[in-house]
Amino acid sequence: MNITQPHLKKFMERMVTWARVNSPWVIHFNSGSCNGCDIEILATLTPRYDVERFGIKLRGSPRHADVLVCTGPVTRQARERLLRIYEQMPEPKFVVAVGSCGISGGVFQGCYNVIGHIDEVLPVNAFIPGCPPRPEAIIDGIVKLLQHVQQGAPAPLATLPKLQEAV
Amino acid sequence: MTTETLLQRAAELLTPFTKDSARPESNRLDVAISANDLPAAAETLSNADWGYLSAITGMDLAPEADELEALYHFCDKAAVMTLRVRLPRAGRPEIPSISPQIPAAAFFERELGEMLGVTVVGTPDPSRLFLPDDWPEGVYPLRRDFKQEQAAPVETANRPEGGRVGNKFIVPIGPQHPALKEPGHFEFEVDGEVITGARMRLGYVHRGIEKATEERNWIQNLYLLERVCGICSHTHTSVYSQGVEKLAQVETPPRALAIRELVAGLERIHSHLLWLGVAAHEAGFDTLFMYSWRDRETVMNLLEELTGNRVNYSICVLGGVKQDILPEQAASIHQAIGYLEERIRYYLDVVSSDTFFLQRTRGIGTMTLDEAKRFGSLGPTARASGLRRDVRLDSPYGAYTRFPVSIVTDERGDLEARFAVRMKELLVTCSTIRAIVDNLPAGELTTRFPRKIPAGETVSRVEAPRGEVFYFIKSGGGESPTRLKIRTPSLCNWTSVLNKAVGHQLADVPMLIAGMDPCFSCNDRMVTVRGKKDSRSMTWSELREYGIQKYQGRR
Repeated sequence: MNITQPHLKKFMERMVTWARVNSPWVIHFNSGSCNGCDIEILATLTPRYDVERFGIKLRGSPRHADVLVCTGPVTRQARERLLRIYEQMPEPKFVVAVGSCGISGGVFQGCYNVIGHIDEVLPVNAFIPGCPPRPEAIIDGIVKLLQHVQQGAPAPLATLPKLQEAV
Repeated sequence: MTTETLLQRAAELLTPFTKDSARPESNRLDVAISANDLPAAAETLSNADWGYLSAITGMDLAPEADELEALYHFCDKAAVMTLRVRLPRAGRPEIPSISPQIPAAAFFERELGEMLGVTVVGTPDPSRLFLPDDWPEGVYPLRRDFKQEQAAPVETANRPEGGRVGNKFIVPIGPQHPALKEPGHFEFEVDGEVITGARMRLGYVHRGIEKATEERNWIQNLYLLERVCGICSHTHTSVYSQGVEKLAQVETPPRALAIRELVAGLERIHSHLLWLGVAAHEAGFDTLFMYSWRDRETVMNLLEELTGNRVNYSICVLGGVKQDILPEQAASIHQAIGYLEERIRYYLDVVSSDTFFLQRTRGIGTMTLDEAKRFGSLGPTARASGLRRDVRLDSPYGAYTRFPVSIVTDERGDLEARFAVRMKELLVTCSTIRAIVDNLPAGELTTRFPRKIPAGETVSRVEAPRGEVFYFIKSGGGESPTRLKIRTPSLCNWTSVLNKAVGHQLADVPMLIAGMDPCFSCNDRMVTVRGKKDSRSMTWSELREYGIQKYQGRR
């Protein structure tokens, strides 16, 4: 069987997308969060919300993960680690920023050890707003991301409206 | 002993060193001493067993005076005694270390050093604690003349991670690691599987909140401080409100205080159940993790029903609370607490009878009463070693005089005791919550609160789920604080965990760390424990080389 045959190649691609959409493995990194978002992410994995029914599983190693879920603003000490984790993930990879801090720096805007939002360090595919977002919102965000993946198109980078300078 | 006699005793003990003394509040004594007398004063207090060192606050007194001030806060029951030391502001002033007398002072001293530019002479480890590796030398964020531009990143050599450092073999763990839900970096020095030394670097979630409070007004700070930690968010707003209310001399309505205690109780339940799950997960007992988190949703529902939010409830306002407890909500509280109580009894039974689980907890990390005292442990970690330290009883605040709690202690001091203490504490909390709901005092929810707070200083202490939270608040009479010092309990408990790790198997580390219920976002510090014996160590490549040679030789 020659995999370079066009119909076989197309079939294989569909298989891979099917697998990816049905079992996206997630890695979580807190780059300066207050824990509020982190405990809601954990709640999302536990029986009440149970995202494992969508095949979503939290992994310990970035090398096993498809989706990087980041919480918090990016602090100076965490920046290099965040980049390193992202670089260790296999392609294609997706980034989800959870919480207001990941979107704008939130309440920590202007603090001396905070670089800013996650978009300043990594390309982000989905933002989930809230302080912290409810587990339902986190599920909604990830499902929307998966819909893009299912359509076969590369997940678009989410764009943010230009934020006003913090006063 | 009453607060008054305690303070008199402290004043007597410190007479030889006292330059000046004052009684700013009925439970506080301020003693001004000179920097050179500090170790002797610390030794006197420590020998007399007067309280424990709760925090060190560093202050820059500019522009009023060209001086820095270091405040050493000692707490005994409700009494707070502060040693005040003035230092010149120019250059890098020196202050002697009190770590030889009080080991728990080591972190506070390092924080003082890097935040205010004070050289603490004789402190065991003066290296960086909070600030990132790329922070420039000679820039101190808590000095008044600090400007963000000064803190531009500088080039740094990469820190060695693992492998050979000196003559040790180091196993690095974190900041991203399957066993840690939050970023912290540990370096365990091992001899085979046995730990001979432990070191830790935090600062990954250090945001600079203390400085930020000075740039926000009193009300904005409420929202900022709620986000010191998302797990015990109510603790931080209530300790802050309590302090600011004291400064403003505002009487908070009793109904508001009772509602604060009620929410604090619910927060304790959510936090301890969360911890139970995470700790069980570290032990490989995922079923218990899922069970406890399922039941935690009951209390999350309740918090949402009462406050509108699952996390960061935002129920405290200065001078009261935002929401009332309605009669129909009282019914749902009773129902939920009834269910939770039954589940907590079940978990208590599981953690004290499951044979496999006990293998991971019984006799692991045992800390004696003396050690708990010496390491300055707080909260359930201390109480599991028989140390009776609980601000709710030692210095009843808010509604705790009206709705008291009973203390839960255990003499065993191992991980099993910490599980038992936390679960039993929840049973006490459940009955207190019932008492509050049934006897909620009538009256207003809030009272008028001024925008500007009169000049003054205060100390505010609250028992968080993890132990005592200490705030020192100074107002200059304006719309924002002049200085706000936060000291959270996890910091005080790290010393004990890292010291107790020595001699245990590397595989026990996740359980030992989980056993104290660490919260990284509220503390950012670094700890070094010197290894007891010298161990052989190699880098990865050396080890590989050694392995190849050894097995080639065998063939």
